Amino acid sequence: MFRNYLKIAFRSLARYKFISFINLFGLTIGLSCCLIILTYLVNETSYDKFNKKADRIYRITRSFNNDQGIVSLHLSAVAPPIAPLMQNDFREIEKITRLLPAGTTPVRYGDKLFNEQNVAFADSNLLGVFDIKLLKGSPRTVLSEPYTAAMTPEAAHRYFGDTDPMGKVIRLNNRINVTVTGIFSPLPPNSHFHSPILLSFSTLEDSTIVGKRELENDWGGNAFYTYLLLPEKYNARSLEARLPAFLDRHMAEPGTAANNMPSRFTKLYLQPLKDIHLRSHLDDEYEENGDINRVYIFSAIALFILIIACINYMNLSTARSSLRAKEIGIRKVSGALRTEIILQFLSESTLLSYVAMLLALGLTWLTLPMLNNLTGLNLSAVSLAKPLIITPLILTPLAVGILSGLYPAFILSSFQPSKVLKGLFKVSGGNLSLRKALVVVQFSVSIVLLISTVVIFRQLHYIQNASLGFNKDHILVMNYNEGLDKNFEGFRNALLEDPHVVSAALSSRIPSGRLLDYQDAATESGDSLRPISANIKYLKVDQDFLKTYGIPILAGRDFSRQYATDSTGFVLNAAATRALGLPHPQDLVGKSFRYGDTKGRVIGIMGDFNFESMHQAILPMILAVPGGQNSRKYSHLSIKIAGNDAAGAIAHIEAVWRRYVPEIPFEYNFLDEKFDRLYQSEQRQGSLFTTFSGIAIFIACLGLLGLSAFSISQRIKEIGVRKVLGASTKQIVQLLSADFLKLVAIAAAIACPIGWFLMHGWLQDFAYRTSISWWIFLAAGALAATVALITISVQAVRAAMSNPAKSLRSE
Amino acid sequence: MIKISDLQKTYRTEEVETIALNKLSFEVKEGEFVSVMGPSGCGKSTLLNILGLLDDPDGGSFLFNGTEVAHFNERKRADLRKRNIGFVFQSFNLIDELTVFENVELPLIYLGVKGPERKQRVEVVLDKMQIMHRRNHYPQQLSGGQQQRVAVARAVVNNPKLILADEPTGNLDSSNGNEVMQLLTDLNEQGTTIIMVTHSEHDSRYSHRIIRMLDGQTVTENILI
Repeated sequence: MFRNYLKIAFRSLARYKFISFINLFGLTIGLSCCLIILTYLVNETSYDKFNKKADRIYRITRSFNNDQGIVSLHLSAVAPPIAPLMQNDFREIEKITRLLPAGTTPVRYGDKLFNEQNVAFADSNLLGVFDIKLLKGSPRTVLSEPYTAAMTPEAAHRYFGDTDPMGKVIRLNNRINVTVTGIFSPLPPNSHFHSPILLSFSTLEDSTIVGKRELENDWGGNAFYTYLLLPEKYNARSLEARLPAFLDRHMAEPGTAANNMPSRFTKLYLQPLKDIHLRSHLDDEYEENGDINRVYIFSAIALFILIIACINYMNLSTARSSLRAKEIGIRKVSGALRTEIILQFLSESTLLSYVAMLLALGLTWLTLPMLNNLTGLNLSAVSLAKPLIITPLILTPLAVGILSGLYPAFILSSFQPSKVLKGLFKVSGGNLSLRKALVVVQFSVSIVLLISTVVIFRQLHYIQNASLGFNKDHILVMNYNEGLDKNFEGFRNALLEDPHVVSAALSSRIPSGRLLDYQDAATESGDSLRPISANIKYLKVDQDFLKTYGIPILAGRDFSRQYATDSTGFVLNAAATRALGLPHPQDLVGKSFRYGDTKGRVIGIMGDFNFESMHQAILPMILAVPGGQNSRKYSHLSIKIAGNDAAGAIAHIEAVWRRYVPEIPFEYNFLDEKFDRLYQSEQRQGSLFTTFSGIAIFIACLGLLGLSAFSISQRIKEIGVRKVLGASTKQIVQLLSADFLKLVAIAAAIACPIGWFLMHGWLQDFAYRTSISWWIFLAAGALAATVALITISVQAVRAAMSNPAKSLRSE
Repeated sequence: MIKISDLQKTYRTEEVETIALNKLSFEVKEGEFVSVMGPSGCGKSTLLNILGLLDDPDGGSFLFNGTEVAHFNERKRADLRKRNIGFVFQSFNLIDELTVFENVELPLIYLGVKGPERKQRVEVVLDKMQIMHRRNHYPQQLSGGQQQRVAVARAVVNNPKLILADEPTGNLDSSNGNEVMQLLTDLNEQGTTIIMVTHSEHDSRYSHRIIRMLDGQTVTENILI
């Protein structure tokens, strides 16, 4: 029986080549999109699950809130004393381990010198918590001694070539020597952190790095990523509930009032390891995370494209049902039950979707490199060969076959043989309305995708071209190196010898990064200082910062080397004066001000500027040029160059750098490029939306092509009669197109509010956003209508131009 | 073999009600060859559809071999049909995508006959109908007479007790028509009961009895033998 079904299926596919092509092509592209998105989804949801104990690993995070309990900062890293104290207080914790990123670190071995990215300090039990395979060295001793390191084979090869790395000594930052005592296999791409070189945590006890005292007492240095390994079936929430008391026990100064305990202002949370990649968006993530919403969006898109392809199958099969009516009649007369007929048509659609899946596999394999380029992912054919992908690979065509075949199967199997065999069969009206409704669904989805694409690109254009409040062009940014501490003025003057170097400035952070540091502040109120409830973010700068970035002073003055008192002077931004309730910037100038432990005066008010990405609103901000012990310890160097000879200026800067800090590799970035990278994920989202909305429209039009061809062939006699009666080609084309264009218009009417709702929601992620203008809806609708019109016209014009005598005879 | 009494069937559209069968009663004995004649719209085809269990009567009784089948559900009707009834149509109604062999094989597939037995039975009947040499051809490649022979082969391959023929020669020239009538007569002589709807007086003479219908009722019955 089944062989008979297959035979008929293959032969009718071959007989109606055009329709079969449309169905097969649409399904292949639809399934290919699904396959690609599935690969992406499997990759995204697999993060950190390679750790056998992933279910039991939690990261400790810490939030800070104001008096009203509003969280102002939520960090994914915590202070160093928390780990040992928790281990001591909660004996049930099996292991607790910490990672401290050291960022980009110059590493030298012999004449090999590299700026090593993502170097980190790690507790010796890191390998016991995470599944990091030690390839060389002893698991018991690796990372336990101070001044020791473990590295990946790739990193080892960079420095030592093919010689044995064990016992070799590398020099970090031209300051400390570290012995290699272990080689570990690199963390897989689906880990939420990566590091080529791990340094032993005990090295941090060196007081020139952090110091033992700070490690035990510094509750403000929240840079330590801390992970717990809990026992099996342990309730993490019960432990979390005991953390406020834990904080009060260890952080509170003796005699602190009960209503002023630390747990009122800061909280600790336990975050499951497996939630980090997709569900954690804290202020200082270890690496850029994924986003569960993106996973949902792309799953929905994959599903919609597949549905559009399935609708093509449903529509074309039911439209052509009259062609199969006789066969069904004969089968019924020969004794076939309705269920057997349904089964036959389901097996036909399932067969088609399996063939489409095979083609889709090929197509996916071919387009994977292009996709990787578009998404920044690194998917390969190997990533298709996972049980999580193979299972849907086998089951999806079955589901698609059933979904798209069920409706035609029910329609076709309901034919009465007594009627169809007498030629009394006609496509019923209800059937036709459903087909129209399905076309409306296809175009609604396509138009929503089109609207989304336009809005995404408009927003990208907006954020990339909006005024940031400073000039980001021709600014080189690089990591400051403490080797420059001894003679920074000499270094700066040497840089400025070249007229193409305009200025050079130091700061604790640079624009395009996050602005996370803050301390308590107080401002003058009568003859005393009144604490400010607003959260004012802190940036340590030198006297050339505002000049280098071209940030205007609105009132008062900029920092200057001529005033020794500037080490207790503050420059705030306009947002800060507004947050303090002062209407004019000059109202604050000259006022006493306290920030953290520093008491001084406000010397100037600068214009607001976007330090962070456009996702974040401009926050109240304070700039200070600290003197004394804190005068150094900057992290970043920004150099403004003239635009007319960038290459010459960079060559000069490099030469000066090599003269002053020859032990440190010269590496820089352009600030405008760093800003562009902030929106990389939106860029990719935009490209993907363009691709997918194009595909959706394309598949929908394929269906429209088939449907209009069929409907025109049904009306060939009518067209003939109309032409004989004097209708022009244009009138005929209008007549034939109008029906379908009406459907596209209805689709646009449905899609516009949905598109507006979705994109309005998407834009809420940005503090600064473009408007959704009316013309976007008009353009999306018009584009869909134009493409649909072109599709129909291909058939309509041909029908309208044909000789009526011929078409009438053909009836 | 067949006994119908007071059989009624009415077709309704939104505006018109058409009475196709009006308290029709007659009997057909096993081994009989009966022609049903009458003008267009007199209810012949409706009768044939009900006899072939392709359609339900609205009222009356239909005994098939003594069993009341008028209100059988679809499954029972399909089962009775595939075991006992063969159909021959005016327009042949062969499936274009299947070869001659596969068209004839179809009823046996639905009967659940195993492959090798199917092959043997199909070959026997194709041989009998003298179209063995065309077994791998598609219907479009055959003449009308050949197509109708295939249709007859399909109707008899499951050895039905009853063949219902709806103007079997309507689309054929006279020589091909005679050939088909001869085939039906041979089958009847071997014991198969045949009920044939026809407009042709010539064809009706092959049968034992003619039932003439008008407006859903029998008007006369002519016994020819």
